[in-house]
Amino acid sequence: MTRADTRPPDVVARRASTRGRLPGDGVAGYLFLSPWILGIVVLTLGPMLTSLYLSFTDYDLFGSPRWIGLDNYERMFSDTRWVNSLKVTALYVVLAVPVKLAAALAVAVLLDNRRGGQGFYRAAFYGPSLIGGSVSIAIVWKVVFSDDSVVDRLLRSVGVDTGGWAGNPDFSVPMLVLLAVWQLGAPMVIFLAGLKQVPRDLYEAAEVDGASRWRRFRSITLPMISPVVFFNLVLEVINAFQVFTSAYVVGGPNGQPAGSTLFYTVYLFDRGFGDYRMGYASAMAWMLLLGVGLVTVFLFRTARGWVHYSGDAR
Amino acid sequence: MGATRHFGRVAAVALVLAAALAGCGDDGASGPVTLRYSWWGNAERAELMQKAIDLFQSKNPDIKVTPSFQEFEAYWQKMATETAGGNAPDVLQMDFAYLREYADRGALYDLSEQESNLELGDLLEGLEGAGEVDGSRYGVPVGANTWGYVYNPALFAQAGVAAPRVGWSWDDYRAALRQITERTGVHGGGNYIGSYYNLELQLRQEGGLLYTEDGRLGFDRDRLAKFFQEGVDLAEAGSVLPVEKGVQIKPSFALELDLIAGDLGWDNFTARYAAKAKARLELGPVPGGDERASGQYLKPAMMLSLSRRTEHPEAAAELVSFMVNDPEVGKVFGANRGLPPTNAQRAAAQLEGPLAAVAAYEDAEKARFGPTPPAPPKGAGSLEQAFIRIAEELLYERIGVDEAVDQFFTEADETLGS
Repeated sequence: MTRADTRPPDVVARRASTRGRLPGDGVAGYLFLSPWILGIVVLTLGPMLTSLYLSFTDYDLFGSPRWIGLDNYERMFSDTRWVNSLKVTALYVVLAVPVKLAAALAVAVLLDNRRGGQGFYRAAFYGPSLIGGSVSIAIVWKVVFSDDSVVDRLLRSVGVDTGGWAGNPDFSVPMLVLLAVWQLGAPMVIFLAGLKQVPRDLYEAAEVDGASRWRRFRSITLPMISPVVFFNLVLEVINAFQVFTSAYVVGGPNGQPAGSTLFYTVYLFDRGFGDYRMGYASAMAWMLLLGVGLVTVFLFRTARGWVHYSGDAR
Repeated sequence: MGATRHFGRVAAVALVLAAALAGCGDDGASGPVTLRYSWWGNAERAELMQKAIDLFQSKNPDIKVTPSFQEFEAYWQKMATETAGGNAPDVLQMDFAYLREYADRGALYDLSEQESNLELGDLLEGLEGAGEVDGSRYGVPVGANTWGYVYNPALFAQAGVAAPRVGWSWDDYRAALRQITERTGVHGGGNYIGSYYNLELQLRQEGGLLYTEDGRLGFDRDRLAKFFQEGVDLAEAGSVLPVEKGVQIKPSFALELDLIAGDLGWDNFTARYAAKAKARLELGPVPGGDERASGQYLKPAMMLSLSRRTEHPEAAAELVSFMVNDPEVGKVFGANRGLPPTNAQRAAAQLEGPLAAVAAYEDAEKARFGPTPPAPPKGAGSLEQAFIRIAEELLYERIGVDEAVDQFFTEADETLGS
C-alpha cells in the first residue's frame, strides 16, 4: 500500500525526451530500472499471484489450501461485517476526499502569493504529512478527541456533548476524516505547482475586464489546474480506500466503537491474521482491487467532461 | 556488446555477495544447542524473563536461549505466520484459548515423549491436566489465575451495602450495584456483558460448561438472550459504567482509574489495579448463591509449548521444566505470569501486598472451585472476540438482544463448524 508517484503528470511527461535517443539508452534504462523490476518481480508479483490463487481456496495458514472455487467471493455478499466494512469505507472516501482536496486547494491558493514568509507557511502546512501515517499520531488523535479531552471540553462549552468522539459511533469516522484533512500537505504542494503554471496574463486580462476574485477563480484557475485536480482526486481516492493505520489504532481489529471504524482493510487484516482465514482475506483484497479499479475507471470517464489539458485548446 | 559484458560483471558481483550472505548462516551442529523462545508481554516481563534465562544458561552452559517477544495480539499474528512458514520457535508461550487450535493443526510437540526431562509432579492441584488435549500433553502451565470479584470496600460501606460474602446471589449483586450507584454516584460495576467469562461462570454454577467436551457451545439461544438482557438492564439502570466511557479508557481498566465500585475479572489483575488506583481494593467471593461451589476454576494463565519441528526437544523440555519448577524462577517472576504453577515456586515467590492477597484469596476459595475445563475448541479465541464485539454493539443499541444472539450463533456455527 505505498503511495504512487506524487508528481503531477505533466511534470513527469516534460522530463522525458529532452534529448534525442542514443544507442545503448535502452540497456542503460533497463539497468536503472532493474532494482524496481527486481523488487516487483521478487517481492510483489509472486505474493500477488499467490494471493489470487489463495482467494479461490480455504486456507488457514497451517494446512494446505483447499480449492473451493468462487465460494469466498460468494460468501462476502452475505457477510454482514463485510457489508458494514464497505459502508464505513465508502462513507470515509466520500467525506475525506472532497474535504481534504478542498482544504488543500484553499491553502494552496492562500500560499500562492508573493508575500514574505511563504516558505515557512508551506513547510508548516506540509509538516503533518511527514509524520502523518505514524501510529503515534493516531494515538494522539484518539486522546485529543476522547471524553473530557481538549476537543470535548471546547464543544461542551458551546453546548455540544458528544461524550467524546472516540467513543461515539456517529463521530468516529468524522474524527478520522479530520486526521486525513490535517495531512493535506501532499495534494497542497501539487496544487501549488499547478497554480504557479497558470499564466499571469490571464488574470490581468480578467481584472481589466472587471472580473471579481471569485469569478477569476471559477473561470481561470479551476479550468487551468483541472488536470492537477484530477490527478489529486485519483490519488486521494485510491489512498482513502486503503486507510488502515489510523483506523486500526483508533478502533482496533473490531472497529470500535460498535463497528463504526471497521474499515475494509481492518476487516481484511482481522480475517487473515486474527481468524486465520487467509483464503477469504485474499478474496477480499482482490475485491478491493477490483472496486478501486472500477472507481478509477469511472473517474477517468467523467474526466473527459471537466478536465482540460492545455494542449487541447490549441 | 559492451552492455552485455557489463551485465556479466554485475551478475558476478551479485553472486559473490549472495555467497557471502549465505555464509553467515548456521555454523553446523558443533557447539552449544541454541533454542528460540518466544512469548508475549511487555518490557517489564522482558526484564524478568532475561533474568530467568540467565539463570537457566548458567546452570546449563551447553544450551543457549534466544528470546523474542511481542504484545499479545501481535504475538499471535506473528506466531501464525511463523508456524505456517515452518519457522516456529522451539519454545513458545501458549494461551489456553489457542492450545487446541495449534495442537489440532499439528504444530505442537507431544511432551509426554519427554517425561524424563520434564518434571510435572509439583503442579498445583487442578493444573495437572491443564495442558492436555485428547490424551496428549501439548502445554505446561507457568502461571494460574481465577475469575474473581475485585471491589472497593469503602464505596460499599458508604452506600450501606454489605460487603460480598460467600453465597451472595446474582440478585444480591445487581441490587448492590444499583444501590451503590444511587447512593455514591460512582457506577457500581464495569462492562458486565462484555466479559465472556461472566457467562462461563454462570453456566458452571448451573452445572454446565462454556464449551462441551466435543467442542460445541455449552448454552443455547435462550440462555444467551437472558444474559444479554441482564446486561442491557444493568446498563439502562445506570448501574454499570457506560459503554462509550469504557471504550475510551482502553487500554486502562475502570478499576485502575477509580471509575467503578467493583468488577468481576482475573484475580491476579488486582496487583495491576492496585498499582494505579487511589482506593484500597479487595478480592471477594463471586456472586452465585451457592455456599459450597463457586463455579470458579484454576485457569492456566499462560503455558509453555514446544514446536513440533524443534530439533532439540530434550533441551527444550529441560527449559520448560526449569521455568515451571525452579524456585529461583518463581522468585524472579512473583505473580507476573499469574500465580506460580508449582508448590515450590509458590513458596519461593515471596509475594507481598496485593499479590499476597491474591494468593490468600485462591487458598481461601480453593475448596469451592470446580475442575478446570478441557481446552477450548479451535477458534475459541476468535469467538471470544466476536462475543466482545457483539456485546458492544448491543450496548450501543446498534442491534437488539435477538439480533445479537443471532449474530453470535451465526459466527459460532462458522467458527466451530456445524
